[in-house]
Amino acid sequence: MDSTLSLLMQGFAVAGTPENLMIALIGCFLGTIVGLLPGLGPINGVAILLPIAFAMKLPPESALILLCAVYAGCEYGGRISAILLNVPGDAGAVMTTLDGYPMAKKGLAGPALSISAMASFCGALVATIGIVLFAPLLAEWAIAFGPAEYFVLMVLALCCLGGLVGDSLPKAAIACLIGLLLSTVGIDSNSGVYRFTFDMLHLSDGIPFIVIVIGLFAVSELMLMLQHSHSGAEPMLITGRLMFNMKEFLLTKWTLLRCSLAGFFIGVLPGAGATIASAMCYASERRLAGKDSDFGKGDVRGVAAPEAANNASANGSLVPMLTLGVPGSGTTAVMMGALTLYNITPGPTLFQEQPVIVWGLIASLFIANIMLLALNIPLIRVFVKFLSIPNWLLVPGVAAISMVGVYAVHGNTFDLVLGTLIGGIGYLLRVMNFPIAPFILGFVLGDMMEQNLRRALSISDGEIGVLFSSPIAIGLWVAAIAMLIGPRLMKLLDERKQAAAA
Amino acid sequence: MSERILGGLLLFISIAGIWIARSFEAPFSYEPVGPRAFPMLILALLGISAIALILEKKSDTTWAPPPVMKRIGVLFVIILIYAWLFDKLGFVLATALMVIPIARFFSATWKQAVAGGVGLGVGLFILFDRLLDVALPTGLWLNNILG
Repeated sequence: MDSTLSLLMQGFAVAGTPENLMIALIGCFLGTIVGLLPGLGPINGVAILLPIAFAMKLPPESALILLCAVYAGCEYGGRISAILLNVPGDAGAVMTTLDGYPMAKKGLAGPALSISAMASFCGALVATIGIVLFAPLLAEWAIAFGPAEYFVLMVLALCCLGGLVGDSLPKAAIACLIGLLLSTVGIDSNSGVYRFTFDMLHLSDGIPFIVIVIGLFAVSELMLMLQHSHSGAEPMLITGRLMFNMKEFLLTKWTLLRCSLAGFFIGVLPGAGATIASAMCYASERRLAGKDSDFGKGDVRGVAAPEAANNASANGSLVPMLTLGVPGSGTTAVMMGALTLYNITPGPTLFQEQPVIVWGLIASLFIANIMLLALNIPLIRVFVKFLSIPNWLLVPGVAAISMVGVYAVHGNTFDLVLGTLIGGIGYLLRVMNFPIAPFILGFVLGDMMEQNLRRALSISDGEIGVLFSSPIAIGLWVAAIAMLIGPRLMKLLDERKQAAAA
Repeated sequence: MSERILGGLLLFISIAGIWIARSFEAPFSYEPVGPRAFPMLILALLGISAIALILEKKSDTTWAPPPVMKRIGVLFVIILIYAWLFDKLGFVLATALMVIPIARFFSATWKQAVAGGVGLGVGLFILFDRLLDVALPTGLWLNNILG
């Protein structure tokens, strides 16, 4: 415990340097804006800024602080458009529209925004404390993992995500397998064999991570924005008081605590992200509040619950990435790709080998959330102005900035063209309801999965049984199968029951 | 129907891929699993999933109405050309030429579109190339003018 505290202090020393504080502030500001723009969410924000941070030659800890601040900021920003426009700014804020917009219609936009900022802060704070307490323990436990366990752990992560997202199992599986397949392109590092390069020199190092990310989360996103482009509704005006009062705060205090804790633990589980956490917490708070509550008509608890939960789970989802090197969501998969750009391999040894980076990142989460709370209550009117950025300026602007990042890192147009083509394919897959998170997770994990599989089989001299030999591995296999089939089986049983009742 | 077509395409990719992957052999092998096992495993699973997709009884994808689809296609082509001309025309000119038609798609007036194109091209160039030290291509034409 003592050592944790001193390491955290070291982290604050890293995150507290003037440059890093400035970077965190910029990240928070940009993140909030990206979050509040409907159509752009945390994954787009992180994806677009990642190559630029790399091109600016930021040191790894500063780049991570920037990306984490953007990530945290997006989770705050999503609620602004949810409350004022009735359009969630990102997927985690869907539930916030249910009570946020009615509150704004009643003239309580100010209190709705400030209590949701408070809820976001509370969720993020609880989750960051959770990271400090649990991440080192989990890392210590995972250090005992051999290559076989690691391989199965990655299978589990992919199954969790595949089991929970999208409506069809084959589609989730295909998305994840395409990601894995693309990760094998290039020279095989063990044997020097060229795989799927089709004699193209540019492909011999494999498809760059940044190219995939920009294609999937910038180019295809812009195409979707054109498809969904609707005449912009006018945001509600903020009239009256900005701050919530004591009565409103006291009404929500237990909601905040419950949802923050629940959100954190849901976030730690691979696959279940901010969207699921906020939906579950909203539903349970609504049930707890009883019949005579105002849920759905503008109850403060209905705004506080999903916001606390989605911020807590967003931070909680950093735990598996930092401790196991196995991200559980699309956004954390992109962040992990950022680490690998700097030749840092996340995993249980990260806590020992790179304490500066890990603890600097954790400390920066505390700092970023305090900044976000400070930015989001008094400056709310400034952020609201950004809601009126017209799409005709936003879409080409995002296109240009995305290309700047890729060009700056790789310096050739082959990658720009490749990224655009991948974006086109990504658009088709997304319109056909293929979930995109398993795609990026498969691409990020592919190389590590193959390496661990080959290492495990080298140790056992080709004996495949090594993958099922240890109790941990067996447990992980069982969990993987349960996560893949479980959620859909439950849904099917639910439908049966409803059909029988009707 | 679109699901079936895609499923068929993926099945073809997986079979062709396995056929290509058969030739991945290491000249000197000192490990039991060579470079082709993992891709072949993934491709086989992809083939199985593709068959599952073909057989799945789910409602079909609803595509955007044809005029919208056409605009999305043109948007894609514009970005593709932008990517290709990025260093040939230089950032400022290429960006301005990309912004104008896209802005028109999102119902900007001609005046707004041209102002936006020039503004974004010049503004982002100054921001990234000059202030943030992210080198951007100036393009041959500008190099000649600047000497």
